[in-house]
Amino acid sequence: MKKQVPILLAVVASLCPVVGFLLPQPWVDEWMNRRLDEWMVIIASFALVLGVVSVVQVNLHKVRRRSRGWGFSLALLLSLGIMSAFGLFGGQGERADGSLHPFTWVFQFAFSPLQATMFSLLAFYVASASYRAFRVRNVEASLLLVGAVLIMIGRIPLGQAIHPLVPQIAEWIMQFPNTAAQRGIIIGAALGAAAMSIRVMVGIERPYLGKS
Amino acid sequence: MKLARKLLLIDRRIIFLLVLAGAVIPILFPIGLAVQVSPPVRAVFQRVEALRPGQTLLLSFDYGPSDGPELDPMADAILRHCHKRGVKVVGLSLFPLGGVDMAFARLRQLATELGARDGEDWVNLGYKDGGQAAMKAMGDNLALVFPVDANGVPVGEIPLMRAVRNYNDVGLAVSLATSVLGEWWINLVNAQFGVDVAVGTTAVSAPKYYAFMEAKQAVGVIGGMKGASEYEELVAEAYPDLAGLSRTATVGMDVQSIVHLVILFFILFGNAMFLATRRTRQEA
Amino acid sequence: MRVDRRGSGTIGRRPGRRGAARGALALLAALLAGGGLSGAGAAPAAGSDRENPRPLAATLAVADTPADGGSSLTLTWDGARLAAALAEAHGEAEDPAAAEEAAKEAAEEGVEEGAEEAADEAVEEAADAAETRAAARAGALPAPGAGEVDVERAAAGDTAFARIASVPASAGRFVDEGLERTTTYRYRLTGRGAGGRLLATPPTPPLAPRVNAFRTRRLNALAAMVFMGACVVGLILRARRGGQIYIRRISGLDAIDEAVGRATEMGRKILYIPGIISVNEPQTLASLGILGYVAKLTARYGTELEVPNIDPLTMAAAREIVKQSYMEEGHPEGFREEMVHYITGDQFAYAAAVNGIMVRDRPAANFLLGWFAAESLLLSETGQSIGAIQIAGTAQVTQLPFFVSACDYTMLGEELFAASAYLSRDPLILGSIAGQDVMKAAILAAIVLGVVLSTAGVAGFAAWFTAL
Repeated sequence: MKKQVPILLAVVASLCPVVGFLLPQPWVDEWMNRRLDEWMVIIASFALVLGVVSVVQVNLHKVRRRSRGWGFSLALLLSLGIMSAFGLFGGQGERADGSLHPFTWVFQFAFSPLQATMFSLLAFYVASASYRAFRVRNVEASLLLVGAVLIMIGRIPLGQAIHPLVPQIAEWIMQFPNTAAQRGIIIGAALGAAAMSIRVMVGIERPYLGKS
Repeated sequence: MKLARKLLLIDRRIIFLLVLAGAVIPILFPIGLAVQVSPPVRAVFQRVEALRPGQTLLLSFDYGPSDGPELDPMADAILRHCHKRGVKVVGLSLFPLGGVDMAFARLRQLATELGARDGEDWVNLGYKDGGQAAMKAMGDNLALVFPVDANGVPVGEIPLMRAVRNYNDVGLAVSLATSVLGEWWINLVNAQFGVDVAVGTTAVSAPKYYAFMEAKQAVGVIGGMKGASEYEELVAEAYPDLAGLSRTATVGMDVQSIVHLVILFFILFGNAMFLATRRTRQEA
Repeated sequence: MRVDRRGSGTIGRRPGRRGAARGALALLAALLAGGGLSGAGAAPAAGSDRENPRPLAATLAVADTPADGGSSLTLTWDGARLAAALAEAHGEAEDPAAAEEAAKEAAEEGVEEGAEEAADEAVEEAADAAETRAAARAGALPAPGAGEVDVERAAAGDTAFARIASVPASAGRFVDEGLERTTTYRYRLTGRGAGGRLLATPPTPPLAPRVNAFRTRRLNALAAMVFMGACVVGLILRARRGGQIYIRRISGLDAIDEAVGRATEMGRKILYIPGIISVNEPQTLASLGILGYVAKLTARYGTELEVPNIDPLTMAAAREIVKQSYMEEGHPEGFREEMVHYITGDQFAYAAAVNGIMVRDRPAANFLLGWFAAESLLLSETGQSIGAIQIAGTAQVTQLPFFVSACDYTMLGEELFAASAYLSRDPLILGSIAGQDVMKAAILAAIVLGVVLSTAGVAGFAAWFTAL
């Protein structure tokens, strides 16, 4: 019973969107699309509480035990408390006088730059990864290297300055060989995902029950 | 050859330093290289150009501050284009940070710049959680998902929203997307509701959208800062009175050019060292 | 469907000279007829004229739009005939038969337009249709242009017809959407004759939209679903009866034991990152399947395992899986809840936190399996810099190059989904993998056939794969 009921629920819930996709009846749309989607959003929102509890538990534990890096955990807990307070009681956006509410201020002047910084690290990591990865070890790797060089030059204005054909070659590589490879992987992955979904739908695979 | 072997294992922090120099120097000393427009970006521009004045473009800010440097210039260029042509803009976000910051900042700034009126020429519906669920529900009625706009005004009281009930009333949906949201706009909104969808995305995500574009599931793709600079160029060409406005992506292309060259240098340098050490190994 | 945009009065609009002249003529005609400019658009609308219009020689039919949820009706008429009748009424064609012929020719020319022009046209038509509906709702339609007719509608209880759109007379079809199922509607098409005289088709009988049984446009999707379902279930049944199913070697999965063994020998932890999307993503489910296997190994060897999460639902499922694995291995005491914990819902904050864990705790093995975006390289490069053995897998094509360059083993696309079958060797799951391969072969055959037929100029086959 403990197993059958969740499996039955999962099977029914997974069939609902399929039925909703095919049948246009209003009650089908209401119950199998709209309501189910709403429930998903509600469940996800409640699950966030689980997440916050986990964050507090794990980091409080670290601070109490003075584990390695406990200072970071303390900073995290303080930030969590302060931002929650700002968000709940301090308002958002601009005040009438044009000044920013504390939540928006921290968001704009602390969070946003930190986010941009993290993303910009990619440029550095791409450089070091490319340095390691692009080696003319064999014919295939050499072709890959030539393609990469053409794309990198073709995607910047310098490519046009070198020769008008360079950006066109880059675009051709993006449009045809790239698209062909992408499609191959996308079709395979989509079929894999569909087969995985069928396994979950018929209860052969049950990761939601803690059964892998 | 010891030197070559040593250089092959160069400390990555040296690479980082040179990349940093490549990024900073063009900001201090701009080069101003010309931008050439690629077909995927031109396709998006032409589709927006095909919208009649008074028609609605749905602009979804599905990105956060981390992607701002690449996607903000796209938002700016598209908004300028729409405001200039009299195309109405319904802004929204299905990415949490997009609703908090990106949509607020871009829509307001550009509206101020071109004198577009809130609620009549554009509206910011804010953020809604739910991703695909929200996209599906909007196909039925936008007001179900966004009963009020970002300022808390009921959508029924917003003049612009009286003419926009669902996707049927939208001429084009543009998702400026990071993460999986751009794909969802194509796979769900275009596939199930038949709405034309264009995607603006980071350079790293752009290649996968070519497959969708070639399959006519997406009108076009604006990829990264390069794509944004191309859109800026197209807007400046078509509307010379807008050419004088800030073009952050075009300026950023100098940085991208130099950093690409730095990376290229390291790739070629690495290969030279690799070949040198390989020859020594073979001789040995 | 084209709609005239004259008079919309927005920035950058440059009406053509011909259009402007016709607009001026219409205005003059309106003033001469004594009609005002009030109401929808600037069309002349004398009260008696609207009540007793001259008949327009065309038959308008209304029917329920098939395969929808009961929110629209479809109007059809003989486009060529109506265009000819309208032209005749305008006095622009002396011979109605010739006008009809001309309209037909114009329609044929439209069909013969180049592919590019047709595409542009489709784009504009889509744009126009949306605009028409929106403008109708706003009650601000511009006046109809030459060769256009107004679509007028009267709902049950309405005393008069109201204009809802302007369409080319030759269009022959109009779909009125956003209707109520409980109301009946009547329609007529109206146009202007010489002197601005109103002409109208006889009104259609009242009709209410109907809910249809099935979305026939999605029949192709259903056929694909049934075919794939049959393949998967058929091969599962075959596997259940003892049929042998071969699965090729996946080195990334073979390396799991090696990675766990290495971490055990080094006395360091294993970091398992299940991607950045919730459990509604199949890649996350596939990753959770592998997590179960990894957790069993760590339980068996007493190796430390940490699973940081970006999504609370994934965290809940992962926690159950790890707990279950420890119990199945007979080491429930080895499981602690904080092994599987939540970090944040933000992509880059999550990447920063996991990088911090990597740099501080120096795990011996990193598993990066699931749905990843731009953080893939941030995580895998940091893992590479600390010398951890890294096993990655994703179906995100844009992230695969990063994983390939920074990780020791990478599962590409569908290999990730095959993991549970590969690791468990469960014949039922293996059967589903084989079913998936049959579907792939069918798709491949359809692609080849489509290419051949399209190249040979046989149309129609490709259309099965778009909405019907």
